[in-house]
Amino acid sequence: MACNPSNCQSNCYGNEEKAEVVVGEEYVSANQNQNLCIKCKTKEPIGGDEGRMFCIECFRSNLYGKFRLAVTSHAMITPTDNVLVAFSGGPSSRVALQFVHELQHKSLKNFDASRDRSLPVFRVGVALIDETTISPLPSHDIDRAIQDIRLIVSTLAPPIKQLHVVPIENIYSGDGTNRLKNLLDAVSDTTGKEDLLLHLRMSSLQKVASESGYNKIVLGLCTSRIACHVISATVKGQGYSLPADIQYVDSRWEIPIVLPLRDCLVQELNMLCHLDGLKTVELLKGPCSGINGLVSSFVRILQEENPSRECTIVRTAGKLTPFHFNRIPESDDSIIPLATRRRQKRYNLKPNESISSESFCPICNSPLNKSDMLRLSNLGSCQTNSDSFGAACCSSCRFQILPKDPSSIDHFYSLLPQPLVARAKRSSYDNLSLLREQIKDCLLSDSEDES
Amino acid sequence: MQLTLEFGGGLELLCDSVKVHNVSVDMPKGAEKLIMKDLLGWVRTNLIKERPEMFMKGDTVRPGVLVLVNDCDWELSGQLDTTLEEKDVVVFISTLHGG
Amino acid sequence: MEKGEEEKPTKAGSRLCCICNQKRAALKRPKTLQQICRECFYEVFEEEIHQVIVENQLFKPRERVAIGASGGKDSTVLAYVLSELNRRHNYGLDLFLLSVDEGITGYRDDSLETVKRNEIQYGLPLKIVSYKDLYGWTMDEIVKMIGLKNNCTFCGVFRRQALDRGAALLKVDKVATGHNADDIAETVLLNILRGDIARLSRCTSIVTGEDGPIPRCKPFKYTYEKEIVMYAYFKRLDYFSTECIYSPNAYRGFAREFIKDLERIRPRAILDIIQSGEDFRISTFTKMPEQGTCERCGYISSQKWCKACVLLEGLNRGLPKLGIGRSRGPNNDHKKGTKETNGAKSIESKQCGTLDF
Repeated sequence: MACNPSNCQSNCYGNEEKAEVVVGEEYVSANQNQNLCIKCKTKEPIGGDEGRMFCIECFRSNLYGKFRLAVTSHAMITPTDNVLVAFSGGPSSRVALQFVHELQHKSLKNFDASRDRSLPVFRVGVALIDETTISPLPSHDIDRAIQDIRLIVSTLAPPIKQLHVVPIENIYSGDGTNRLKNLLDAVSDTTGKEDLLLHLRMSSLQKVASESGYNKIVLGLCTSRIACHVISATVKGQGYSLPADIQYVDSRWEIPIVLPLRDCLVQELNMLCHLDGLKTVELLKGPCSGINGLVSSFVRILQEENPSRECTIVRTAGKLTPFHFNRIPESDDSIIPLATRRRQKRYNLKPNESISSESFCPICNSPLNKSDMLRLSNLGSCQTNSDSFGAACCSSCRFQILPKDPSSIDHFYSLLPQPLVARAKRSSYDNLSLLREQIKDCLLSDSEDES
Repeated sequence: MQLTLEFGGGLELLCDSVKVHNVSVDMPKGAEKLIMKDLLGWVRTNLIKERPEMFMKGDTVRPGVLVLVNDCDWELSGQLDTTLEEKDVVVFISTLHGG
Repeated sequence: MEKGEEEKPTKAGSRLCCICNQKRAALKRPKTLQQICRECFYEVFEEEIHQVIVENQLFKPRERVAIGASGGKDSTVLAYVLSELNRRHNYGLDLFLLSVDEGITGYRDDSLETVKRNEIQYGLPLKIVSYKDLYGWTMDEIVKMIGLKNNCTFCGVFRRQALDRGAALLKVDKVATGHNADDIAETVLLNILRGDIARLSRCTSIVTGEDGPIPRCKPFKYTYEKEIVMYAYFKRLDYFSTECIYSPNAYRGFAREFIKDLERIRPRAILDIIQSGEDFRISTFTKMPEQGTCERCGYISSQKWCKACVLLEGLNRGLPKLGIGRSRGPNNDHKKGTKETNGAKSIESKQCGTLDF
């Protein structure tokens, strides 16, 4: 019996990796159902790349299911939370916003239906980082995009979600526009500049979340984007800190970050936006160049050649040992429902594998590897703030972001926004003796091999 | 302009397995000098017999192909902008072949 | 391709070596971006490899060391540099060339001629082990039977074992291979792409197989391919550079191309990838397959039969697909039939490069 070509690729791939993309446990083994959705086996599957095995309803519920599983099994959102969704207008964050909204909508219904009304409904806000001042795009284009985004957020069903449109220069106290421009100009490496902007964006999000009383930040990072990050972090020599960035939860920040779309492909998210008519605004996404650009075109080619490649990349990186902060902090446990706590156990998230006091790079906030720590501890006491800032950075940021010329470091340092400077102060505050202590531990556990 | 071009590291296979080519290359019309960018275009048209993508990518050599002008790494002489002179020796070596 | 010793008069604007400040710079080092002359290049190139050997204690005095020699650029430069360093720094090593003859007419027979010339040029005794002698099949015969698909699987498995057997015949303590920094960076990426966490944790080790019969080491672990080729070119070393006729158009995979693209915009990326590979936090509790020995030939194997014996059995029984793909023939009899991986041009079917050597 001939396969229906539109079904065939997924089902006949004969590659066990492929199977994991599909998630559903039921596969069509016999040919008779080839033309039907593999889940409900009653409706016709939709066309397109990733959805071809499911009908529209099953595709949507499967995707939402991945989101919900991630949220519940990692205690990402609990009833008392005030959640800030980072929204860029692109399909990933659009779906993140939509799903968080739906989740809120459902808990509101439950709340209204419940007799005792014991569980409150979590609150949701939206943040947009406005990069007009440093964008090469004409400002009226950006203004229009921001208007579109306002419309998207305001037309979501109640409860009303506040939208914070935050100019990126607000990361400075006072008018930071020129300092920000000069800071970016001081970075000569294209990739470094792009990455610095990314770190600044994250700091801006942290700032607005903290100032407005949010306690979680939701990012729309999906499998495809994470796969690119895995490769580019590897290429930049950030292999040690890589596992910190790709977990469901990252609470090394003041306000923990959660990635509920970690298991969704960008193709699926695009498809959902398309099917449900979710309006997206692509304008704000900056162009990718340098190393990041090379990596994303490399991963795109790989994914076209094998549709499970991105999943495999993320799965590989998922096997690297995460850090102690890759979970919701302990203190929250009391408000996490029992069922979730059980689930957490099932997913093998032990409270602490190694409670260590890591040191972090003040620019990218990555945990420092052994050689960075050794360098730092050998440095002795630094004379100036800018020297100690430079010394506290990871080798990747030192290479691609810090100025090569030692005499420019002072200037660069003077342009940094407060949160980054504070981070450096904090890390040098964890003074050198503590650092030496940690190094000693590292070296000891290496030679002892206590298994 | 008389030039000696050498292909090594497997690149000779793209031009009938001939390693050394003594060639005469004309200046581009209206130009006062011949630069590597011009030469690459000339080589691609006149010497490469098969799989040109093994030799070039975009308007320059494929990454992994080393270029030496008079035994000097072209990265030191401005790559595509390197000016060529009479009797120069240009060597192309692929690093991608064999272990 | 002999050339006059004297350079033509230097071009206007050509720069001086930043080490000796006297001679004309001949290349830009990818590792340091320094522009240096030929003589200084030879010196730093050799000295760095010496440092790697010393710091990692790759060799001990009076050890017998086989250099895996394919006749290609990496192993030719390795043979040359190792014999040079052995003399200069009194390593006290007995060096040998060890080649594998896969039996590929027009490819390996030519490259073996190169190795035979190297034997004389460097004064290193050469041992050639052939697939024909070890397994009773040449690659030519294997390809005639199985066609051009999966032939690289056979070749890779057989070569690995052949190298160990040759090393045993030479009674060497160690095998040194010509894997360079580009190769290792490529392997790191490939292991991420195919989800192989066990290999990912091992692939950046400079010494491997210490638990096996004969350890292998990679003195070129931090050496850029560009420098190896430049060194071979400037020194006029005699190497062979034709792609295997049975992996046509394989001119290395996507990953190789990607690495070369990266190198162009950021040469340091190659070392950064290796650094990442060394730094990856991989739990040491990850289960490693238990090593036993093959019931048939005694070679190390985690299964009842080693991979080579499984493949060989298939060839001899006229069922060459035995052992290809996920099923392992005699090792898991319950899995009927051989599931062939369908992704024909999958990146995993990387053709025989230096990786499995």
